[in-house]
Amino acid sequence: MTAAAQRVRGGNVAWMALPAFLMFLAFGVVPLLGVLALSFTTWNGIGEIVPSGTTSWRATLSDPGLPHALWVTFLIMALSWAVQTPMSILIGVFIAGRKRYREFLAVLFFIPLLLSSAAIAITYKSLLDPSFGLGSGLGIDALNQDWLGNATLAMATLIFIVSWQFIPFHSLIYQGAVRQIPTSMYEAAQIDGAGRWKQFWSITLPQLKYTIITSSTLMVVGSLTFFDLIYVLTAGGPGDATRALALLMYQQGFQANLMGPASAIAVILVLVGLVLSLVLRRLGGRADESQLEGA
Amino acid sequence: MARLLRFNWLGGTFAWVWLLVVMIPLYWIVITSFKTQANYFVTNPLAPPTDLTFENYKTVIDNDFVRYFLNSVVVTVGAVIPATVISFMAAYAIVRGAGSRLLKAVNGLFLLGLAIPLQAVIIPVYLIIIRLKMYDTLGAIILPSIAFAIPLSVLVLSNFIRDVPKELFESMRMDGASEWGTLWRLAFPLTRPALVTVVIYNGLGIWNGFLLPLVLTQSPDQRTIPLALASFQGQFGVNIPAIAASVVLTTVPIVLLYAIGRRQLLSGLTAGFGK
Amino acid sequence: MNRRNFLGLGVGAGAAAALAACGSSGPSGGSSSGGSSGGGGAASYWSLSGPPGEPVRQAAIDRFNKANPDSKITPTFFQNDAYKQKIKTSLGANQGPTMIWGWGGGGLKEYVDSNLVEDLTGWLGENAAVKDKILASSFGAATVNGKIYALPVETVQPIVLFYNKKVFEKVGVQPPQSWGEIMALVPKFNAAKIAPFSLGGQSRWTNMMWLEFLLDRTAGSEVFDRVFAGEKDAWSDPAVLDMLTKIQDLVKANGFQKGFSSTTADSNADQALLYTGKAAMMLHGSWSYGIQVSNGGNFVKDGGLGWMNFPAVEGGKGDPSNTVGNPGQYLSISSKATAEAKDVAKKFFSTTLVDDDEKAGWVKSGGVPVLKNSESLFTGGDAQFLKDMAGIANGAKVFAQSWDQALSPTAAETLLDNIAKLFQLQVSPQQWVDSMNGVIGK
Repeated sequence: MTAAAQRVRGGNVAWMALPAFLMFLAFGVVPLLGVLALSFTTWNGIGEIVPSGTTSWRATLSDPGLPHALWVTFLIMALSWAVQTPMSILIGVFIAGRKRYREFLAVLFFIPLLLSSAAIAITYKSLLDPSFGLGSGLGIDALNQDWLGNATLAMATLIFIVSWQFIPFHSLIYQGAVRQIPTSMYEAAQIDGAGRWKQFWSITLPQLKYTIITSSTLMVVGSLTFFDLIYVLTAGGPGDATRALALLMYQQGFQANLMGPASAIAVILVLVGLVLSLVLRRLGGRADESQLEGA
Repeated sequence: MARLLRFNWLGGTFAWVWLLVVMIPLYWIVITSFKTQANYFVTNPLAPPTDLTFENYKTVIDNDFVRYFLNSVVVTVGAVIPATVISFMAAYAIVRGAGSRLLKAVNGLFLLGLAIPLQAVIIPVYLIIIRLKMYDTLGAIILPSIAFAIPLSVLVLSNFIRDVPKELFESMRMDGASEWGTLWRLAFPLTRPALVTVVIYNGLGIWNGFLLPLVLTQSPDQRTIPLALASFQGQFGVNIPAIAASVVLTTVPIVLLYAIGRRQLLSGLTAGFGK
Repeated sequence: MNRRNFLGLGVGAGAAAALAACGSSGPSGGSSSGGSSGGGGAASYWSLSGPPGEPVRQAAIDRFNKANPDSKITPTFFQNDAYKQKIKTSLGANQGPTMIWGWGGGGLKEYVDSNLVEDLTGWLGENAAVKDKILASSFGAATVNGKIYALPVETVQPIVLFYNKKVFEKVGVQPPQSWGEIMALVPKFNAAKIAPFSLGGQSRWTNMMWLEFLLDRTAGSEVFDRVFAGEKDAWSDPAVLDMLTKIQDLVKANGFQKGFSSTTADSNADQALLYTGKAAMMLHGSWSYGIQVSNGGNFVKDGGLGWMNFPAVEGGKGDPSNTVGNPGQYLSISSKATAEAKDVAKKFFSTTLVDDDEKAGWVKSGGVPVLKNSESLFTGGDAQFLKDMAGIANGAKVFAQSWDQALSPTAAETLLDNIAKLFQLQVSPQQWVDSMNGVIGK
């Protein structure tokens, strides 16, 4: 349709987008439609796929496990955001500042991000084991809690491990952003007699606005996908204390053989992801969609 | 700036305390991997091993570690390179053909894709892979990995290509270069930091991927590292030193790569995300 | 959910070698010889990896392949936790093996409902000699709607109460003879800083064994039979509430080790608690014996391990001789396999799997075979254990199949989920009954 316009702008380049488009179509869009279709079927994973109207949806929506999983997902999202964001900003601002330490800290900070979630989960599971882990080895009772076996502690432990894994990453994002704030702004503020606190609140933080949105988007949308970590660490337990949406879907589909309801949960997962992304983008206040900052 | 933030005690304290928090589990896992199992139960868990042993590493390697490692290499390389190339092409098209409504729609689709968690579509992906008769092959992991690397890659890369001054494109055009030529000779060198970011980010994600191999493969022959780790945990049971060794062994290659490409990675990362 | 297993994977040199061998035993061949393709005379076989089971399984296949040079069975061994999902997804992908290993019961019924496995009733009728060699009680879990869909193989595995004799000596107490004595032992062990019971609670089916025995001892086997039959509100029996309350009392009294709900049975951490003396007792399948032997150093050899049938509950209606567990393991033949592959499998069933070497192999591994007349083979260090297990299995008025194996995977998942919550004190006994009534017959 606008081929002529494009040619004017410098040749037709649309074909270059084709491979990526087709690939994403085949393994992104088609499965997305597929999961919607499957949510209106009954399938045990090995037999025939039978269309069954809203049976799966009714089963899913009446399952008390669903609101619980939504709550767990929300809790993980909110808590991990609330813990990570202030700490990442503080650390990011700090390591942006000092040359000597910056290099050193940045190097070490990145390491947790190199580990797979499976490796991290296994490490912590061994470390926190009440019978064979660190606490029992050191004989310090305060450390020898039932970290993964008590509902509240297990959630706290999960948030801690998520933070352990990702704070370094977000700190580095903030570090980069802080370094791009023009020094002249601080100099001007100093001339006006603003103290360090004031500078932080009136210059650093506002300047980081878009980075905060980028980082928060990554955190929030990312938290929907904590599957490997929970799967290996607690398998959703104790009881159902850490059974987030993605895990509920996996258990329904691949353990209870209820692919229909599992697909319905997957659709909910997609909707939650989309709504969150849109809300966060609104918060960003940018109308120009192509400019979604950084990521 | 360093001067201006000199008294940032709060940030400093947090940074150093957090460094300790980050390092203790890493330190623990490394020293434990060199302890004998008997020794592990009786010594202070944070004390270095008194009788250094490599037995745990031998155990892990004897358990087909090399095969799993190669599988992970194949999957990662096989997914990251095509993903980066086609994302780069798409990003270029999206920036250069900014007037096209078609490309705008494609870009919108990719942006939408950012919000779709891989987990949500795993059941249909599983079905598709079965229909393609690719179940239990490394290709089954590679194809969806490519697809799910595209949205973020296109976003980061297009942001970078957009920063290339319009005049440069103009002069390439004046010289009679095709779009294909411009892509490789102009855009490619200028967006190298972003490409590195994309390669590393996707590479890490795919190397460490768990769900796709879990659902789409079955045999030990096709097992990748993260899955192997989870199964080592079952095999080694409470032989925590052996588990520690398996974690260290699976991480060391990545840490080595990181040590080599660290500078570029960190600058690429901050450039890619911190814009 | 899963395994009734043999996953006693130690990391001794032998185990490592066995594992290495299993890793290289060509599953790519396995996946191709399943449904659609497969040349003449080739069949594939999937089962669980690790000692004590895997070497015996491998030996049977080697024996068969040697005796039948023109046909070939290719085995693939999986870790227990992975197997149950893998077999399902591969059958769904039409890439399953010729021979499907399983636990019978509800899982087998699901295969039958999807027409994935062969009806063996006729074949067993023609080959009565094969059927006669196997304990009749093992066929129950292989039977769906009156037809036999699997061959009982390997071992009979009752669940028993294991205990650490050294720990009992140290604390100066005797093994419990009743539920009251169990509850009385709990504070004594806790005072000595030893966990009364070891439990791999994250695996959930481990918790379930407690419910199975307690319900049987208080009310007999009829209550679960009604659930299994799909009777409405079958869980509402007062005995169920009583049993659930007892369980929660035990949890509240710190009857299980600290952190039991994050301990996994797949890693054998629960087994380790017993042989390291960190726990005094453990309710577990008879396969634990093999794990204690291979992982526990000299623990079993030095006479540290004790075992007994689950004690009676005061005033209970159940017969204390009853037991729960796996009446056998089961091999089915895929209906999607080629005719040649099916023939190879049937030959394997009628020759190697019922021969004397097979019987001796399982006895040597520390198990009671499903094959008849194995008692004479019980010799050596394991003789007493084997005799006792055979005694429990044969002396039981009722040998009930584990609930999660008997029920469909869907109902089993809800059951296990609710059991985990029960142990977590997250639901009351009444809430448990209400939610379980909701999935009866599903």
